[in-house]
Amino acid sequence: MQDYLYDNNIDKFPVAMAYVPWQRFDKMYDDLEKAFCAGTIFPELDKPFTGRRCV
Amino acid sequence: MGNNKDQLLRDIGIVGFVLTDLSLYLDTHPFDRNAMEYFNHYNRIKHQMEKEFSMKYFPLTINMAESNKEWRWGMAPLPWEGECG
Repeated sequence: MQDYLYDNNIDKFPVAMAYVPWQRFDKMYDDLEKAFCAGTIFPELDKPFTGRRCV
Repeated sequence: MGNNKDQLLRDIGIVGFVLTDLSLYLDTHPFDRNAMEYFNHYNRIKHQMEKEFSMKYFPLTINMAESNKEWRWGMAPLPWEGECG
């Protein structure tokens, strides 16, 4: 399996497909209580999804 | 609220959540050493906390249930008795 970086290989990506950027471990929340309440230890995944509509 | 037993139990739950999230990441990134270091770190902490809780209060899992005078696993409160948060 070959991984391509989207930035450098945009012509190798078939059109009309959706792509999910690969997560890279950078840092996690120091405050575990905060992470617990957010539902993720990764600040980059802590999104303001409401479960109803976008904000 | 906030006696030591409840606090410790809650903290064990939080560290358990951290380990679950790290394991989800590691499932898709099995060679990420940095993430593995975090996992090992928090895994050790969770073991220590569970051991401390089991010695002070009651065993949370059967592998913490070593007993001498009384069968501590059997004496522990049952889940529906409201002791487990």
